[in-house]
Amino acid sequence: MTRRRDDDLPMSKRPPVDEDVRREIEFHIERRAAELVTAGVPRERAMAEARASFGDRAAVEAECRDIEERRRTTRHRASRLAEFRQDVAVGWRVLKKSPGFTVAAVVTLALGVGANSAVFSLVNRLLLQPLPYAHADRLVTIDEQHAKGYGNIPWPNFVDVKAQNATFDAMAQYGGGMGTLLAGGSALRVREAAFSQGLFDVLEVRPVMGRLPLPAEHQIGAPAVAVVSYPFWRDVLGAPASLNGVRVKGERDYAVIGVLPPGFAFNDATQVWFPLEVEPLEHSRTSHNRETIGRMKAGVTLDAAQRDLGAVFAHLASVYQPDFDATGARMYGLRDALYGSMRTPLYLLLGASGVLLLAACANLAGAQLARGSARAGEFAIRSALGAGRGRLLRQLVAESALLAFLGAVAGLALSFAILRGFTAIAPSSLPIASVSIDGWVLAFAAVAAVLTTVLVGALPALRLSGDDAGLALREGTRGTGGVSRMRAWKVLVAAEVAIAVVLLTGSTLLIKSFSRVMDQQLGFDPASALAVRVALPGVNYDGPNLANVMRFHDQSLERIRSAPGVASVGFANALPLAGGGPSGGIAVEGKPADPNFGSTGYAIYRVVGGDYFEAAGIPVVAGEVFSSRRSLPPNSVVVDQAFATREWPNENPIGKRMRVVSMDHPRDFPEPWLTVVGVVASVRPASVTGDFRPTYFMDFHERPMYRVESASYVVRTTGSVTAIASVVRNAMRAVDPDVAIEAAPLQDIVSRSVNERRFTMIVLGTFAAVALLLAIAGVYAVISYAVAQRRREIGIRLALGATRGRVRTMVLGSAAAAIAPGLLLGAAGAIAAARALATLVYGVSPSDPPSLALALAALGVAGLLSGLLPAVRATRVDPLLAIRMD
Amino acid sequence: MSDTRLRLIKGTFDVLVLKTLSWGPAHGYAISRWIAQSSRDELKIEEGALYPALRRLEERGLLDSEWRASDTGRDARFYALTPAGRRALREEVAVWERYVKSFTRVLSARPEGSIA
Repeated sequence: MTRRRDDDLPMSKRPPVDEDVRREIEFHIERRAAELVTAGVPRERAMAEARASFGDRAAVEAECRDIEERRRTTRHRASRLAEFRQDVAVGWRVLKKSPGFTVAAVVTLALGVGANSAVFSLVNRLLLQPLPYAHADRLVTIDEQHAKGYGNIPWPNFVDVKAQNATFDAMAQYGGGMGTLLAGGSALRVREAAFSQGLFDVLEVRPVMGRLPLPAEHQIGAPAVAVVSYPFWRDVLGAPASLNGVRVKGERDYAVIGVLPPGFAFNDATQVWFPLEVEPLEHSRTSHNRETIGRMKAGVTLDAAQRDLGAVFAHLASVYQPDFDATGARMYGLRDALYGSMRTPLYLLLGASGVLLLAACANLAGAQLARGSARAGEFAIRSALGAGRGRLLRQLVAESALLAFLGAVAGLALSFAILRGFTAIAPSSLPIASVSIDGWVLAFAAVAAVLTTVLVGALPALRLSGDDAGLALREGTRGTGGVSRMRAWKVLVAAEVAIAVVLLTGSTLLIKSFSRVMDQQLGFDPASALAVRVALPGVNYDGPNLANVMRFHDQSLERIRSAPGVASVGFANALPLAGGGPSGGIAVEGKPADPNFGSTGYAIYRVVGGDYFEAAGIPVVAGEVFSSRRSLPPNSVVVDQAFATREWPNENPIGKRMRVVSMDHPRDFPEPWLTVVGVVASVRPASVTGDFRPTYFMDFHERPMYRVESASYVVRTTGSVTAIASVVRNAMRAVDPDVAIEAAPLQDIVSRSVNERRFTMIVLGTFAAVALLLAIAGVYAVISYAVAQRRREIGIRLALGATRGRVRTMVLGSAAAAIAPGLLLGAAGAIAAARALATLVYGVSPSDPPSLALALAALGVAGLLSGLLPAVRATRVDPLLAIRMD
Repeated sequence: MSDTRLRLIKGTFDVLVLKTLSWGPAHGYAISRWIAQSSRDELKIEEGALYPALRRLEERGLLDSEWRASDTGRDARFYALTPAGRRALREEVAVWERYVKSFTRVLSARPEGSIA
């Protein structure tokens, strides 16, 4: 021990600065005077001489005061810091002394913080962070509203709306998909899109290299130019320093004139963009082909823009009736258009991870309470040795902060892993790869850690300040607990149980809903089938080379069909679940037709080849369908059940006639009558939970004008789906080495359409499982503790003749008593939370009683089981030992 | 009356204070007396200047202070060397001795031949 120092005293016991300085100097002068008096100088003169020889007393005092003030401040700060260091060091020693508790606590916190950080980083990236476009809040996607639903804006309407609106700075259309390009000598599947003039003004994007197309290059007959994405320029084109002579061949031979900025990933990261207006565009005001995006003027609200466009559409309707079916505009903020469907699920998951963290906190707080009672003696001793209550509180908070810090660090590490896990199960529409742990997420984790510290540290601290330290000391370090401590802990356990009930009910609902979705009649059989998308490079297959398309498909079908392991093969212009696909007007014989166009309605159409129905597993309900085995009479058509039911209810559709009505064709263009030869089951056109829509099928040989250079093959195999992929690829390459092929099990297309649901279900299910584990751990801990506290009582009971069965029942009873309020609370919470799930469940009520019952039963059983071990332990108490204890 | 005492070289006063305290804790008046007596009053020291010097040394962690009763019974502010102060004194004394030695050597040297 070093000498006692003034600084060790509390501030109040040290003389104030001026007194400290004044008294010191007074002492000096008086001693000097006293000395002179002893030497015989008269008292008066001695004082004067002492003062004179001291010098300028006021100046010296002022200087001393300054130094002293400064010194005290620094000292104070340093001692605070030293105290803090000491608290942390002591905290660390305490944590090291009980490694079991520490590891459990850090793991619990890591789960809570990790889950929260991971979900938050998703929410942050998708819903909170500004989109990577300038003034993204003014960007909206625009659709036409129709009597039934809504759709893309037809080109002529778009031109009028763009010219006549008053609320937009710029507006553009774009559209495209996968295409095949020849670049650098090889055929590639790329994402390509055509865009109308001004798209990059809407997005406020400028090329980092080269230029955008000029207005003159957005005109019919203009030379073919393209701008490409940064990754395309870098990886496919080989990052040429100059764009001179750089070309890509698609439908036309494009000169690459510009490179878009890195990170620009609009329209699902389209790689190649070319002007739209170089070819004649449709005149129809009822055909919906491309997306429309607009930039609202500064200060214009979505509502105002909506009203403005509504007025424009009303005006257009009055001019162009009846060749017009729009009733108004429908607009979404860009973010809604991009991630709108994930908004509710993500916020739901964020809420779920939040209550999970609360459960983790409750668990830790309970454990701290138990330790607090065991440590009451330690604190009593420290308090008796002079540690103030504030100091002890700080000690507890330092321990919690240390735990929270360790938990937050471990949690962040865990969230990396969780995000990686998300990548595997997330729907492809979410740009998970671009989600990272950034400053916001770190801040979020820090806030979570602080919250944890407060929640976990506060309870024992409150307990401490309520305890009479002296009492605790007299009671010894045995720590008799105290009824109120047990009560506080049981409240915490009840909260954990309630949280687990809510999460478990929610995830049971989602699982049930998911299975309902998967049970939906798809109308086709995705098992054992491979989907192969093929796009023929336009330069070799377009226009005059249309016959080549026919030849390619015939030869490919032939080769694939004869390959080993292939049961059947066919293709269509669009697969089921692919988002509807093209549709158009039809006329059914004998029905009153629209006087202007001669149409009687709309239907989705499919152009098919080979044994499409067999390969896709679409059942034939009546009549015959197109197949490779026998040819049907010319001008045959196959319809689906939805079509047959709509057009010929209660009649046999076989033999009925219909024809295609196209508004883009001259009205006198004679479309032949087609005769229905067969009826097939309806398939889900857009999504698993979407409606069936009337569809008709035509033979691709008879519809050369329906361009099928981009077709989807379906190959049904007797063996492995993945093994057949290379067989199909080789067969097609043998026909034309330049085609790009994309193969995936048909099942994947089904999975993709339920990916968002699956993602939400898996993540919420995982959270629920963790919450269940936490609740089990909580019940186990509180009951174990109670048993340990009541050892002596149990010993006495056993000594007095209580049977072990009685003791066991007593302990289990207390477990039940701890769980029951949690179950009640959880049931209430689950019913309240049902609303949040309403939009996410399908085919099951959000307040589904069986789901709630299942969750309650699971918690009840798990809770009692976790009380079983302590109960058994209680019966092993040796009465003699227990009574003699202490 | 003209003062013929020596003016102190800047920075050397601290060394004297530290040296004085090396005999044991003392209050300011005792320190000033000790320095005056042991220098036989040859050094011209402003008495008041001692106190800011003491407090600066304390601020630098070379001294500790404590109010306690003096020999006359009155409370005085006593100063004591800290371990750091003891170290500083050793170093300062060594530097001072080297300084004096070099200084003396130059002053007592005779030129061998011309220095011009």
